[in-house]
Amino acid sequence: MSPSSENRSVPTAGALTAEETLRLIATLPAPEELENRVKAKLQSAPHRRNVIVWPFAAADSWMRAAAAAAIVVVIAGGGWGVYSHIQVAPVPSAVVEPQPLNGAGRFSTAGAMHVPQTVQGPVVATPVIEKEHATDQVPRMKEKAHKRGTPSSTERKRTK
Amino acid sequence: MSASQILVPGWMEIVESAVHDEARQHAEEAALAALVDQYASTLYRVAFSVLRNQQDAEDSVQEAFLRVLRHREALGEIRDHRVWLVRIVWNIVLDRKRRAKTRPETDDIADLARVLPANGLSAEQRAAALQHHARVLACVEKLPAREREVMMLSAFEELSSVEIAAVLEVTESSVRSRLFRARNLLAELLQHKRSTT
Repeated sequence: MSPSSENRSVPTAGALTAEETLRLIATLPAPEELENRVKAKLQSAPHRRNVIVWPFAAADSWMRAAAAAAIVVVIAGGGWGVYSHIQVAPVPSAVVEPQPLNGAGRFSTAGAMHVPQTVQGPVVATPVIEKEHATDQVPRMKEKAHKRGTPSSTERKRTK
Repeated sequence: MSASQILVPGWMEIVESAVHDEARQHAEEAALAALVDQYASTLYRVAFSVLRNQQDAEDSVQEAFLRVLRHREALGEIRDHRVWLVRIVWNIVLDRKRRAKTRPETDDIADLARVLPANGLSAEQRAAALQHHARVLACVEKLPAREREVMMLSAFEELSSVEIAAVLEVTESSVRSRLFRARNLLAELLQHKRSTT
């Protein structure tokens, strides 16, 4: 059984005409010199292998080691050279801060002072307490109570 | 050990490896040229059946072989070169078709008129045949993508259903069922078109 007959299993009338069209297109000859044009295109295409080969490949491993060491020395030496040329400034013992201009850097008030106009509130006079007078009052009160005949708190306890 | 003693063996190795590389490159180029000679026309027909434009089809073939050139190291591992190449060009043309705008039916007729053989037909018969082909192709375009792809590939005498399955990366039974559906749908579409016109 050929591949084509294998594919064409029970086609309907409409499909048959459609497949004839497709088959007609599928059997159209390729244009002349197509192969040559494709080959020319392939030859003009850039090749991928553009890597430079290591010139002393596997000949002397010590040369590779020497080259690697030289690279390391050059890089390390360069780094050290840069480091040695940088002069680190001495750290001051006290940091002098610059005087801030107008406080936080704002415009100056030109000496003007803002005094809010407030309502004159009541003035509370602070009471003057005479200490001697206050201490003298306690025995006087006791005397008064004694005269009236009312027992003092200690006497009341005793009577109970 | 002098410098010349070091350099001379190294240089010899470079020359030997260069010669070896050159020989290998020549072998790869020869293999690629053989593939071009053998399959370029098949690939062109596959590309043309989808794109229906000579220049686009030729560009697709060239692009396919450029891809092969980029992966020429893998040529030895390929079991079936024909199916592999058809799959490459198939993917290229589908991608191109996806990016291109939808072609009007008149363009199809004009392109077909350029490429289809006259076969001893009169001018009127030829015009009628072209109209018919264009109508069929318009109906094919209306098929779902899966069915359309199988239908187009089945038109190639040299591709079996196993090979079509390999190109589309599906099973053979799937190819058969899709082809069956495609034929039925196409018959319906053509019937509908005939009844409306």
